[in-house]
Amino acid sequence: MDKEPVSGICAVDVMHYQDLARQYAKKSLLPIFQGEYSDGNLSLLPEKLNTAFDIGIAATPDESLAGCQYGIWGGALDETGIMPSALLLSVIAETCGGVAMCLHAQGVASNLLLGAKRKLPFVPVRVALCLQEGFYPPFIGTVISPDQDAPAKITTTAVQTNKHYIMNGSKSFVYSMNDVDAYIVFALVNGTWGCFIVNAYENGVEMMDVGVRTGLRACRVEHVKFNNLKIPLEARIDDGDARELVIRALNLNWTGMAAIAAGIAKGASAAARRYAAERYQGGKQIEEHPAVKMLIAGAEASVASAEAALFALQDGNLGSLKHLKKTAAAKLSVMELCSRAVTDCLQIFGGYGYMEDYGMEKRLRDVTVLKSASGSPTYLKQFIFDIEKEGVL
Amino acid sequence: MKQSLEGRIEQLKLKNATETMNIFGRLLVDNREMSLWEHDTKTLSWGVRRWRRKALKFAREYIRPLAPQADLHPHDYDPQPILAAAARHGFQTLLLVPPLGTASILPYCRGTAFQVAVVGEEFATECGGLALLLLAHNLGIVPLLLSGSLRNIIGQLVPFYLKSYILGRPACMAFAITEPGAGSDVEETEGGAKAKLVTTAKYDPKKKGYVLNGRKCFISDGAKADKVTVYAKLEDEGIESWTCFLVEKGMPGFSVGRSERKMGQRASDASELIFDNVFVPKKNVVGKLRSGWANNRNVLNYSRPVVGAMALGHGRGAFERCLEFCRKTNLGPKRLIEYQDVQLELADMAISLWAARSMIWHSCKQFRCYQSGSASAKVFASDTAFKVCNQAMELMGDHGYLHSHGVERAWRDSRLTQIYEGTNQINRLALFEHHLSTDFNPALD
Repeated sequence: MDKEPVSGICAVDVMHYQDLARQYAKKSLLPIFQGEYSDGNLSLLPEKLNTAFDIGIAATPDESLAGCQYGIWGGALDETGIMPSALLLSVIAETCGGVAMCLHAQGVASNLLLGAKRKLPFVPVRVALCLQEGFYPPFIGTVISPDQDAPAKITTTAVQTNKHYIMNGSKSFVYSMNDVDAYIVFALVNGTWGCFIVNAYENGVEMMDVGVRTGLRACRVEHVKFNNLKIPLEARIDDGDARELVIRALNLNWTGMAAIAAGIAKGASAAARRYAAERYQGGKQIEEHPAVKMLIAGAEASVASAEAALFALQDGNLGSLKHLKKTAAAKLSVMELCSRAVTDCLQIFGGYGYMEDYGMEKRLRDVTVLKSASGSPTYLKQFIFDIEKEGVL
Repeated sequence: MKQSLEGRIEQLKLKNATETMNIFGRLLVDNREMSLWEHDTKTLSWGVRRWRRKALKFAREYIRPLAPQADLHPHDYDPQPILAAAARHGFQTLLLVPPLGTASILPYCRGTAFQVAVVGEEFATECGGLALLLLAHNLGIVPLLLSGSLRNIIGQLVPFYLKSYILGRPACMAFAITEPGAGSDVEETEGGAKAKLVTTAKYDPKKKGYVLNGRKCFISDGAKADKVTVYAKLEDEGIESWTCFLVEKGMPGFSVGRSERKMGQRASDASELIFDNVFVPKKNVVGKLRSGWANNRNVLNYSRPVVGAMALGHGRGAFERCLEFCRKTNLGPKRLIEYQDVQLELADMAISLWAARSMIWHSCKQFRCYQSGSASAKVFASDTAFKVCNQAMELMGDHGYLHSHGVERAWRDSRLTQIYEGTNQINRLALFEHHLSTDFNPALD
């Protein structure tokens, strides 16, 4: 597909984005995996993430940095469509899903700030999105009316006083790079959605790491609590109702996660092909065994289908519910296809696939986390059905 | 009189509606209120039921508290206390009946592996790694039993069992077939014929024994075992000459190499065993010379239902912990378990587990385990367990991947059951091979 022109972006651009991501993965990320580390040597990660800012892969609201416009989910997103960012994420995820998730989380939060087009009280470099409460993102009923039990209302509130807002509540499963400067927080303001930029170092902001996780360990995940937090009035970045920003955040989040899953599955299928050509059992290379052929072919077909579903999202309006339904469907099917592909590829390695040395078990852990994270299949099915039912299209 | 909707629903529930029947009709309705577990347990014979209850109690008392740390820091916990406790409770001597072992006699005659399978499910429900630590020991013992050699059983097994059960001194055995270049090959007929094996045994006429050289890998409990049943080909011969040897810890030249870093079942080690001119006396030859291949294949027939039962346990562990989460967690004003889509998903998981349990129990409810039954049960149970674990994780959303809930641990543990004891692909071929002349013969009309 990388030779075919797609709308809004030409083949040369596509190749450029892929090359950039490949170089980053090869030169910066591969060294992390030297030595006996199941998820790479994470002490080297901060330096590698700094490189991502330097070369412009990581987006940031800071306009003085290279990735502000053309980094992952950067300011030029509405002009280029989702393809460049999805490609970058996908190629990086072939090497490490966790790092791709870091860059993705940074990009989604940055994009919301860059789209605000207003003077911010301060300009952060590292940002994270706080949308989810409890263990699911908001359901469609809550997206439309955040104060309704549909089935669960938003409990993080921002109450306006003369000079500022007072925020109370908590957000769960906030994905980020380490050491974020600011959180982009969605809260209930007079029965509607409000979106705020919150200084991470402010008194009243409390972070709690979620603890040991199955995968995507390069990416930080935390719960964030707001206790009587004072926020200046100019820190509100929406124009009175942030519902469209909620929809945009969900769209970007699910698209990026689907792109990462596709990348992980692509990496797994390439590794399985290589291994199948090297390993001998029954007197011949295992790629000659029908059982192995079937597994590899099935995985490659799944990856192709996942990419098709993902890239079909290229021309959508990120602020529309109609597009959100397509994105939810894409996340649902891409995760299913990719997790099946990765587990089949792991099976080809036999016992070695289960050991940390070959990197296959990491891929399976990462893709499985993506499937449950920020909208599990159960939630997404409900969401897809309810969009029509609510008559919002 | 007009009743409320709730009242009518209550009246229509089978338990209440039964009251409208006559006494004989009522007798035929099973309205006993008991858990899924209890219902299944009631179908078992007295002896097996006793072991199932005992295993559940042991798993909750000993395995549950140790599981999270043993998984997170497998090198920092001491396995000896739990091995000793299992030995004292008779779980390590379940492959023989009194006075030599602890299995219930009548059920043993109807299914030698059944009691171990039932216990395996209970242990694995709490922790896959600790279950493997305790059960891989049985795998090391089976070759001695299946060799049919009284010399091996009386000379090796009985002292070992007495020490374990009567004295409560933990002893552990392991089973070593896999080699770095031969994983699936040693579990399948055609692959076996072409396998490139490195572990060889050379007869030493002066010392009247065999000298072993070579390596084995991925050996469960390999680093902890006091004795290992090792398969080696005789010098200058092929796999047809495979012979089983009992190698003891401390024999000169026998050492443990690398312990693998695994995705799951981490509380039990998977180690490399190195044999560098290890002298094994003739009395340590298990069964007849060159009977190793048959012995190995038959060991797999007996162990696969147990592996299936362990997989079932992983699935059940994930299901139970997910159920607990759904009971405790609110989504809006209601508990998660009160939503019908959640109920449907939980019911689907319970049905899948029930189906897998039925298949496992069916496959080992006879004196001799057979190839197709064992392989099918293992494939179905391990695939089902992995599916159920995935469902549990998905139902819990982001909480599913947190170690603290224990569901992701079961998910990681369950994935290995699709690989070891022959990959599920190899097991499918085993079913085909077993019935080649009866059902799958191309020449059959």
